[in-house]
Amino acid sequence: MGSGEPVKSPIEKLNPLTKMLAIFCLGLATLIYPNSWLGLGIVIVLFGVAGIAHILTSFAKTIFGFGIPISLMLFFIQGLYSPKNKTIIADLGFAKLGEEGLLYAAKIVITLLVFLATFYIMNQTTYAGKMVAALTRSGINPQVGYLILASLNVVPQMHRRLDIIKEAQEARGVETTGGLWARLKAYVPLMGPVVMSSLTDAQERGMTLETRGFANTNVKRTSYIEVTTSKADTYLRAGLIIFLVAVIIISIWMRWAQ
Amino acid sequence: MDELAIEVKDLSFRYRQTTHAALSHVSFSVPKGSFFCIIGGNGVGKSTLCNTFVGLIPHYFLGKMDGEVRVNGQSILDQSIADLSSQIGLVFQNPFNQLSYTASTVAEELAYGLGNRGVAREEMVKKVAAVAKLMRIDQVLDQNPLDLSGGQAQRVAFGSTFILEPKILVLDECTTQLDPMGADDIFAIVKRLNHEGITVVMVDHDMERVAEYADQILVLAAGSPVLQGTPAEVFGDPRLAEFGVEPPAYATVTQALAQRHLIKAELGVTKEQAVALVKEGLNHAH
Repeated sequence: MGSGEPVKSPIEKLNPLTKMLAIFCLGLATLIYPNSWLGLGIVIVLFGVAGIAHILTSFAKTIFGFGIPISLMLFFIQGLYSPKNKTIIADLGFAKLGEEGLLYAAKIVITLLVFLATFYIMNQTTYAGKMVAALTRSGINPQVGYLILASLNVVPQMHRRLDIIKEAQEARGVETTGGLWARLKAYVPLMGPVVMSSLTDAQERGMTLETRGFANTNVKRTSYIEVTTSKADTYLRAGLIIFLVAVIIISIWMRWAQ
Repeated sequence: MDELAIEVKDLSFRYRQTTHAALSHVSFSVPKGSFFCIIGGNGVGKSTLCNTFVGLIPHYFLGKMDGEVRVNGQSILDQSIADLSSQIGLVFQNPFNQLSYTASTVAEELAYGLGNRGVAREEMVKKVAAVAKLMRIDQVLDQNPLDLSGGQAQRVAFGSTFILEPKILVLDECTTQLDPMGADDIFAIVKRLNHEGITVVMVDHDMERVAEYADQILVLAAGSPVLQGTPAEVFGDPRLAEFGVEPPAYATVTQALAQRHLIKAELGVTKEQAVALVKEGLNHAH
């Protein structure tokens, strides 16, 4: 979720609250389902969703970039050393590979991937302002919304200030490029002015917010950013809730049947 | 008697954990619809005074306050800063510190104060478009405010204040980031708003501008009022230099010419007045 505009797509048009509900429902469904197959299916479907959202390449990079190393690590630890291991599928000499540990590792990896994938899609397809506008409209404290947005926007501001100070230092002959040591020597003295001026700015920013009615408590806040709940949102929300309820019922039945 | 936009009675203020008073026994009034300027050297309390008008003192900056400040007849002590913001708007020096940091576009930035007042989106969109046109920032409405130049950002800061339709506008050295033409543009708008009945209180170091726009000028020195009057009265006062204020160049020139009896003994504080006096002097010589 950046402060810039995401790429236009049917996923981008969805209400941010629908996407948050998707994270919750799909993640929880994967978590409570007794095995990894449901989660795997969800991850495959999410690749399709990422394609619709025009973010397939970066999505795949993130999922594989996180999934492969974390899978290897968990399969190694849980597969070889899990106390749950009873069914040995391979003897490597120094340790024995257990089926229960591998299945447990797969379950953890797939649950993490579902949460990561849904969150990544929401992050890449949702404009931060729209998210906060939707949350504020649904009753969240506007000051919490401010904290989210200000945190996202204050970084570019500090970066901007750092560039200004860096340019001023360069104009005075300070070397800010080159090797690591040269950069360290140049950047460490810059941090003081950046942090101090940011603190000074915060006071004036506080004044601005106050004079623009930030502390107004007796009105329901509105936003310039249009947040709509389309038919697609309504159907998706209903579908997600039905899906979660169905998964809960099936999971209980599967555990009971065992 | 004129209706008063701002009334200050025997105001003194000392910031918390300081020993010196930032303001000491300040009294004056600003009639509704007037253009009132506050001048003086650095650190004499001009910004502190502006902060009292919008309620930042004593509600935001803590300290010991004595005396009274009334905005449109009501004491600032009886109103919150948010309440006061519907009557009085403040624009100050650094435009980037006047951004809300909640907006990724100029349009959202302009609309921020309206959102805090619960204004409906449809109305917001109309007001944003109107103010953007007025401030000549309609071409950058979709840009991130942080990517703007200082001048453009100051226009956004002005716009974000104007959009709240205050009856009183306080401008605290707000054109320092603007080039001379940009500043002239802004002041043309301010002057127009003043003609439409908005009261303007301005702090500025540009004495030519102060002389051109002010109906009344208050001179502060060490937190106390030392002179008050029309531009001709204030800039003609021989004690002005003692208070760290240099009169406009036009006043200095016309004063020097009058001393040499080249023009009549009148003070021209604006370009127009100075030119008229010199023309009259030349005609008389011929």
